[in-house]
Amino acid sequence: MTGQTILWGALYALPLLVRSDFLLTIFIFTFIYGILAVTFDLIFGFTGQLSMFHPAVFGVSAYMTHLLAVHAGLPFWAATLPSAAASVVLAVVVGSICFKFRLKTFYFAVVTLAFSEMIRLVVMNWNSVTNGTLGLVVAGKPTIYWPGSGVIPIKGPVAWYYLTLVCLSVTVLICSRCLRSWMGRCFGAIRLNEDLARTLGINVFRYKLLSFAMGNALASFAGGLYGYYTGYIDPGYLGINQSMEVLAMVLLGGQGTLTGPIVGSLVLTGLPHAIDLRAELRAVLYGTILIFTILVMPRGIVGTLNAWRSRRVS
Amino acid sequence: MSLEVRGLTKRFVGLVAVDDVSFTVEPDEIVGIIGPNGSGKTTLLSMMAGLLTPTSGRVLWKGREVQRLRPDIIAGQGVVKTFQNPQVFAELSVFENVQVASHLKLKRELGLRRALEIVGAARDVERRLAERVAEVLALCNLGGASRQLAGNLSYGEEKMLGIAMALMCEPELLLLDEPATGLGRDEIRNLEAVLDKVHAAGTTLCLVDHKIGFLRGLAGRVIALNYGQKIAEGPPERVLNEPAVIEAYLGAGHARA
Repeated sequence: MTGQTILWGALYALPLLVRSDFLLTIFIFTFIYGILAVTFDLIFGFTGQLSMFHPAVFGVSAYMTHLLAVHAGLPFWAATLPSAAASVVLAVVVGSICFKFRLKTFYFAVVTLAFSEMIRLVVMNWNSVTNGTLGLVVAGKPTIYWPGSGVIPIKGPVAWYYLTLVCLSVTVLICSRCLRSWMGRCFGAIRLNEDLARTLGINVFRYKLLSFAMGNALASFAGGLYGYYTGYIDPGYLGINQSMEVLAMVLLGGQGTLTGPIVGSLVLTGLPHAIDLRAELRAVLYGTILIFTILVMPRGIVGTLNAWRSRRVS
Repeated sequence: MSLEVRGLTKRFVGLVAVDDVSFTVEPDEIVGIIGPNGSGKTTLLSMMAGLLTPTSGRVLWKGREVQRLRPDIIAGQGVVKTFQNPQVFAELSVFENVQVASHLKLKRELGLRRALEIVGAARDVERRLAERVAEVLALCNLGGASRQLAGNLSYGEEKMLGIAMALMCEPELLLLDEPATGLGRDEIRNLEAVLDKVHAAGTTLCLVDHKIGFLRGLAGRVIALNYGQKIAEGPPERVLNEPAVIEAYLGAGHARA
């Protein structure tokens, strides 16, 4: 616990010590992808359902937040809420279908992937609204109320760093509180032994759906933030490679932990920048490191560290 | 009237596993169901717990039909079943296993106030829950193994943990699927003592087993199955001496002797 406090403290103190925009930018992407990876882990690592639906909510909420801001004149934060609500609706529809038919493991993955692709194709072909494959330019900035200066837009790496860090912290806090409650016990029961969970009176369908809806709702904020941060949205947001990226982050960092996905996000966001090689060689080295880590540490970086630490204690 | 089974039948492709079986389980009874391997005991129990849907026939719990309800709903109404092959959450500790099983208890006692647990305002609930888990583990003589991983338990301990989890659901009727099968003599004695305590605390028991000695000492009434059909019912001594039962177990030659 104290180790985690120090880690979070260090993250909050970082911009005071380091004035490198390059480094801060890596961390900003880490935090946004961290939100995505943590919420994916809620569904995958904690509840045991291999969802491929994250790109759909990520993309849809990125588009929706921007479009609501432009066409309805909503401020960024007000626009994220209908986007989250839309993500919950999508998750409930897709989740209900999958869980009613008791789809598990790869079957669940393939069907959620199909739904995600379906939404991607709709977004790509709905030219009048989404501008198709050309994408949209996001010119707006999120604003916050700052005592003394009133409502100010978020600009520059330091402001973005703190904004995304706070969003990630809130996500992790919500997830950890829920996982420590009876909800987390139900999620774990479903992951470990669905039949037993059922005979103990746990409504497996309801808790799978709860986990899926919660994970997707929280992930939707990452979409809004990402679009506003990069200033550009295209249908690639909803691509299957996003699912792969997030899955790799969680496997690398440690599934079934909340710190793991963030560590995985940091490694996979930072590594491509840290390797100073020609593009082709970089891809090879990057892939090798990934494969090697997963072979040597099947429980991921954080999972391995935890096991190592508990062995030293006992 | 507690539980009533009426004309219950389960047909798998080309095989009638349970054939038109009827009986009742009254409150506070211990009912034993015996029969050779493959006689349909487990299928019968699974239908009573909602794990299998019967082909025809009805299961009434407190006068209401339950045979098409989901197992979690039946568990919520007070009928909980343990598994023949012990089922545990192997990656969790023994304590955590029983804690997970507290789901129904918390739901009954707190309802939506469970949400307080999320914001950390339910410390006393958590404390009382931990005490209750410790009680149940002590009742099942698993107190010493509380911190062990469930996956590291012996076969007998895993079965006992299954019973502990079922007890945490606070059932009115506990269905036990072959609780004594595969256990050593000391473990069976331990099991008998635990089940006596559970029964004394007011839980109705219905158990399936083919260890006749074990059931004879425990059950007040015995139902014998063979090829899915009920062939005898009554006090243990009478049922076990019935020629049809002896024949089913030992073959026709022994029935006359």
